[in-house]
Amino acid sequence: MLPAQTAAPKPALPVAKATAPAKNFKETGSPSAPITIELYSDYECPSCRGLWMDTMPQVIREYVVTGKVRLVHRDFPLPQHQYTRLATRYANAGGQIGRYETVVDQIFKTQPIWAANGNIDAEVAKVLPPGEMQKVRDLVKNDLHLDDSVTVDLAQGQTDRLTQTPTMEIVHKGNRQQVAGALPFNVLKSYLDQMLAK
Amino acid sequence: MKRAAILAARLILGAILAYAAWTKLRAPWPQFAVSINSYQVVPLTWLEPLARTLPWVEMILGVGLITGIALRWFGLASTLLLGFFFSLMIRSWAIGLNIDCGCFGPGEALGPMTMLRDGTLVALALGITMAGFRRRVTEG
Repeated sequence: MLPAQTAAPKPALPVAKATAPAKNFKETGSPSAPITIELYSDYECPSCRGLWMDTMPQVIREYVVTGKVRLVHRDFPLPQHQYTRLATRYANAGGQIGRYETVVDQIFKTQPIWAANGNIDAEVAKVLPPGEMQKVRDLVKNDLHLDDSVTVDLAQGQTDRLTQTPTMEIVHKGNRQQVAGALPFNVLKSYLDQMLAK
Repeated sequence: MKRAAILAARLILGAILAYAAWTKLRAPWPQFAVSINSYQVVPLTWLEPLARTLPWVEMILGVGLITGIALRWFGLASTLLLGFFFSLMIRSWAIGLNIDCGCFGPGEALGPMTMLRDGTLVALALGITMAGFRRRVTEG
């Protein structure tokens, strides 16, 4: 695997073809953007953190905000990571209250801390007002459907034959190209520009 | 007997190089750029040109070995290329990088088995090169 990248387990059973994540908060950018990037990540995977913190802010600024790329987050929590499922619940609970990006940013930013002590709650609480944090806690604790989009994403990941996280599925003109690993921005930029020029 | 061994060696090595090239060429070029980048030895600006050209170099070397034309030179170039890859793998292993080999596309972790395999390929390439040059000396 690439530096601290994480291998995905082989799919055990064939799964039905999945569709886009159920929750709109996982999608950003124009629906009519010529390119869609589906980004599979695991919150406890260090390479996913690197990609999110180093590459994605520039992608969002230069391609998503400008309407060239639609970004779809896909959760791919891996069984070997102890706290990733819980982190995913916090992220999606944040999404339910309209604070998805804030919570995702904080989860990735503080990954080394909560991956060591398991206290995701304390880290997320640092970036949300108390009222919103309470709503997130309630959702994490009680919402039985919070993992529904994760189930869909995992199924799609198996359909896409993921071998590791992070992985991008770059969709352009119906052509689906998979790139696994932490792509440096200059490489991704060059690739996206070539696609946009076609 | 010796001729048969050299023939087998160059066909095997040629096929492996061509297959390695094919696995990279069928994927989008950024995939190989990620693999190159994981070794942490080249600047970011080199990733695209290397990711676009190296698979073709492997393909040319593979086809060259299979055809047997200019065997000593294709053998020498293969030895240098594989030797360079092998030294990078040893370096990465020694400094504790937990990375993808990148030899036949993504998903194969760098470890003792991949290094043993690549070391064997280097030895094979070296053997072909030496045989090629020896043949030239005896013929010339």
